[in-house]
Amino acid sequence: MKKDMLTIAGKELSSRFFLGTGRYPNPFVQNEAIKASGAEVLTFAIRRVNLDAPNEDAILQHLEGQKFTYLPNTSGAKNAEEAIRIARLAKASGISNWIKVEISANERTLLPDPIETLKATEVLAKEGFVVLPYTSDDPVLCKRLEEAGAAAVMPGGAPIGTGLGILNPYNIGLIVEEANVPIIIDAGLGSAADIVQAMELGVDGVLMNTPVAKAKDPVKMALAMKYAIDAGRLSYVAGRIPKKKYATASSAFEAFITK
Amino acid sequence: MELIINGELVTLDVHYLDEIVKHYGLDKNLVVMEVDGLIIDRSEWETTTVQAGMKIELVHFVGGG
Repeated sequence: MKKDMLTIAGKELSSRFFLGTGRYPNPFVQNEAIKASGAEVLTFAIRRVNLDAPNEDAILQHLEGQKFTYLPNTSGAKNAEEAIRIARLAKASGISNWIKVEISANERTLLPDPIETLKATEVLAKEGFVVLPYTSDDPVLCKRLEEAGAAAVMPGGAPIGTGLGILNPYNIGLIVEEANVPIIIDAGLGSAADIVQAMELGVDGVLMNTPVAKAKDPVKMALAMKYAIDAGRLSYVAGRIPKKKYATASSAFEAFITK
Repeated sequence: MELIINGELVTLDVHYLDEIVKHYGLDKNLVVMEVDGLIIDRSEWETTTVQAGMKIELVHFVGGG
C-alpha cells in the first residue's frame, strides 16, 4: 500500500499524531508514551525558568538525541501581542520555526480568542513562522486563518482537557470540505472512539495531550490512539457505506431454499 | 548590581549576559534570553554587557499541549 503521508509546510510526516508533553506522571512514562505513539511532532510550552530550581522543568533535556519536529505553543497568551512575543522567544531557541498559536481569553473554558488568533497568525506567517493556530470549530474562521497564512488549522473538538470529544461533528466536516491546508483536531478528545470519529470526518491529524498523559496507563493509551488514528484514516480513505433506514440482506434472495 | 530577572529583583556581580546563565547553572542551549523586551541571540551573550536595572527574562521549554 502506498504511504499515506501528511505534508505541512513542506515537511513530510508519516504519523498523523501530534503529541503534547505536559502532565505525564514522570519523564520515563512520557518517553515511553512518545515512543508508543509514533508521533513525529511534539508540542511544548514556553515558561520562565524557575531560578530556584533551574533545570527541574526543562523538557528538552529528556529528549536529547531524538528526532522530532517541535511545535511550541503560545499558551498563557491573552492577546495577539503576547502570543507574538512568545512565538519569537520560541524561535530564538533555534530548535523550530513552527508555532502553535494558542490565545485564551477565558480561564474557565480556555476557549481560543478568534480575533486575536487571526491577528497573531497573520503577523507570524508574514515573519516566516510555520503557523498552526488552535481555534474554534467555526468553518468561516478556519478559512480566514488559512487565508492569513496558516500552514495548518487546528480547530478544537471541545475545550482543552475536557475529554468531551467532538461536540460539533457537522462543523468539523464542513471545515474539512472547505480546507486547502491540513486540518488537525486539537483539544477536547477523550478516548480512541473520539479519534476514530475525527479521522472519519476527514481531518488530517490529531493533537492530544491530556487524554494520553492522564490515562491510567499513558503508554497503552498512546498506542490505542495511534491505532485509532490509523483505523479512522483508513476508514475515511476506504469510504464508508451510506446510512439507510431499512435492512439490506448480505446474501441475495434468489435461489432461497424455502421458496 | 541590581537586575530584574524573571520578575524578581536580584543582586548579581556580573558583567556580561553569559555570566547570568552560568550563575544559575543553566544549559545555554536550552534557554532563551530577552533583555528589556529584545531577544538577544545566544551568540551575543558573551559580548553583551549587563547594565543595572535591566529587565531580563530567561525562558525555556516545558511540557505542554
